[in-house]
Amino acid sequence: MNPPGPPAANRPSRQIRGPQSALTDFLASHNISANQIRQDALARRAAAVAAQQAAEGSGDNGDDAADAADSPSAEPEPLPARRRNESKAQSAKRKKEEEKAIARIKASKQFQRRRRQYGSDDEMSDEDEAARALFQETMAPLPGQMENCEICGKRFTVTAYSRAGPDGGLLCPKCTKELDQEEGSARKRRKTNAGRQRRQVQSNLLDGIYPGAKDLVTLCVETLAKNVDQAEDFGDLPPALIDRLAAILSKKRLLNPTTLDLFLKPDRDTVTVYDGAKLSSDDYIKIFQIVPKIKHLRLRNAVQFKNKVMDHLLDTTVELESLSLHGSNLIDDTRWDRFLTEKGSHLKALKIYHTDGYFGDEQIKLLAKTCPNLQRLKISHNQKVTDKGIAHIANLPGLQHLSLEIYKPTSSPPYVDVLNSIGPGLRTLSLATVYHIDDSVLKAIHENCQNIFKLRITDNEVLTDQGFANLFTNWYNPPLTYIDLHKCRHIDAAVPRDNPNGIGLASRGFEALMAHSGSTLRHLNVHSCRHISLESFEKVFAPGTQYPELREIDLSFCQNVNDFVVGSIFRACPNLKTLKVFGNFGVRDVRVPKGKILIGVPNALGMQIEGTGEDDGRVI
Amino acid sequence: MATSNEGGLSKYVTLVSSDGFEFVVLREAACKSGAIKRMLDPKSSFAESTTGRCTFEEINGIVLEKVAEYFYYSYKNRNQEDVPDMDIPPELCLELLMAADFLDT
Repeated sequence: MNPPGPPAANRPSRQIRGPQSALTDFLASHNISANQIRQDALARRAAAVAAQQAAEGSGDNGDDAADAADSPSAEPEPLPARRRNESKAQSAKRKKEEEKAIARIKASKQFQRRRRQYGSDDEMSDEDEAARALFQETMAPLPGQMENCEICGKRFTVTAYSRAGPDGGLLCPKCTKELDQEEGSARKRRKTNAGRQRRQVQSNLLDGIYPGAKDLVTLCVETLAKNVDQAEDFGDLPPALIDRLAAILSKKRLLNPTTLDLFLKPDRDTVTVYDGAKLSSDDYIKIFQIVPKIKHLRLRNAVQFKNKVMDHLLDTTVELESLSLHGSNLIDDTRWDRFLTEKGSHLKALKIYHTDGYFGDEQIKLLAKTCPNLQRLKISHNQKVTDKGIAHIANLPGLQHLSLEIYKPTSSPPYVDVLNSIGPGLRTLSLATVYHIDDSVLKAIHENCQNIFKLRITDNEVLTDQGFANLFTNWYNPPLTYIDLHKCRHIDAAVPRDNPNGIGLASRGFEALMAHSGSTLRHLNVHSCRHISLESFEKVFAPGTQYPELREIDLSFCQNVNDFVVGSIFRACPNLKTLKVFGNFGVRDVRVPKGKILIGVPNALGMQIEGTGEDDGRVI
Repeated sequence: MATSNEGGLSKYVTLVSSDGFEFVVLREAACKSGAIKRMLDPKSSFAESTTGRCTFEEINGIVLEKVAEYFYYSYKNRNQEDVPDMDIPPELCLELLMAADFLDT
């Protein structure tokens, strides 16, 4: 080995001595250094002398000595060549020489100095090794010099990057490359493997595939997705598996016009495309041609589902019961009006996401007239609907599921109108990004809704803790199974911890919520509700409490959550699958029971799993 | 193991394919399948639970062999993380998928 770096005192320092001679200049221009030549000669002479002395000391005959060290006058034989051709005896002798030289180096003052400089224990722990390194360093040619390659024997110019060969000599660039390829690829792969493995474990963890092997269905679906180009037909797979296949093909971005055909069978009534980005308008038209009895159509990223496709749909006899369109922002309002008028009578569910400039108040107004059977309405990421449009939802008496995520600022009165009108029939209510609604909406929910099992109100800075407490106290509604109140909190950049007016879901609201719905709650998301106090968490998850249904909890950025709270939650929720605690710096070192997943622990280790029952504990 | 002393239950169970192939599999490994687990549950009073013999009329020998292979693969890796995926021949994939869905594996 030839470690670069340590400033060796015996290295020829550049001697600055005024103007150069013409000869030196000429030689330098041909990459020959006079200084170098002299250094080499000196080194040879010194080596010869040393060898002579050694030979005399050990009583060897002069012939050997002459053989061992090159005579000063002779042209120095290239090192590798000699090594290649040397006999066993010669090799043994060379080794002996080397050892002697190393012994001398060890004894030398310079070596001692350097050892002290490095510190004796870390880099150069082994004295022999260190001395050998130094020996080879002094023997190794310097950058810029010519040297014979150890393997192929060709002459090449030594650079700072020249690699040492297996026997300590230097290698030419070609041999270096070959050697790198031989062992380097393995070394590199090993390095990246560790990182990949860690990420894979974390990824599986988030997917809930942990521990142990994936189940056989997953393995088969993945294999099938990998070989989808060979598949001609899925046969009579059950619809649930078809859906999983559709999902995984989209995830791998394999859903294109060819693979779409696998999902189109005349006798099916459901077509789901989770990523239609690669499909053209004609492919969407093909869906209606091949599957005329289609009832449920769900398309995501369906940009090319535009006027042309809508026109075709209007010309067919297709009677859709549910339509879910994501990203179809090229269907204009006229087409939406025609669709609702002509096909609305069968429609039970309408979900539209990301329609940009289309689908506004007028269309919602039309819904009331043309879609008497509508049970489910979702308008998400909509840029056109305003308060006026929301008020029209009150005229949809059959509605059971309502989900709105409107970009334009909205206010409370229309929501209150809607709840007063259709609240009693609602089973799910989701109001996302409602920045400005106030407690009157909560009051309307409390008074009107009696059948809700899923409630979502997010991103609000007006609703009060008292409002939430009132909602969940003495509410006629049976306990809920899904509650998402994330980001209902007070925001103040100057004094973030104070909450003088009790804005957002805080301690009282949270306690009332858990008291009302704790017995049946499956999903709870109170992410960023940071004014829920530690006492409140401790009280809700106190010993003796039990929340048998809770599967998923998100307590991220609730700054009062700590190790104790997390431990209490694991105890109180026997069926818990995942608990998210991003940004909770009170969570430091929790033992996670087997089968549960704790996500977002703010340390480099991730979570620690403790073994319970039959298996040993493991730490990842 | 616990299974051997539970009311004299055998440690092994036999899976029979539609074309008559029999696979003797460790009970604990076979119980990876929800369907087989329910069949063999002593409390279920299915015939399979007393005989320890499950016959699958819809699964042929080739597929059932792969299923048995999966049981052992899964049993071997039951507590490992970052388990390498089992190799599944593409031509068997669909049939195996149907079987896996049926067996709740």
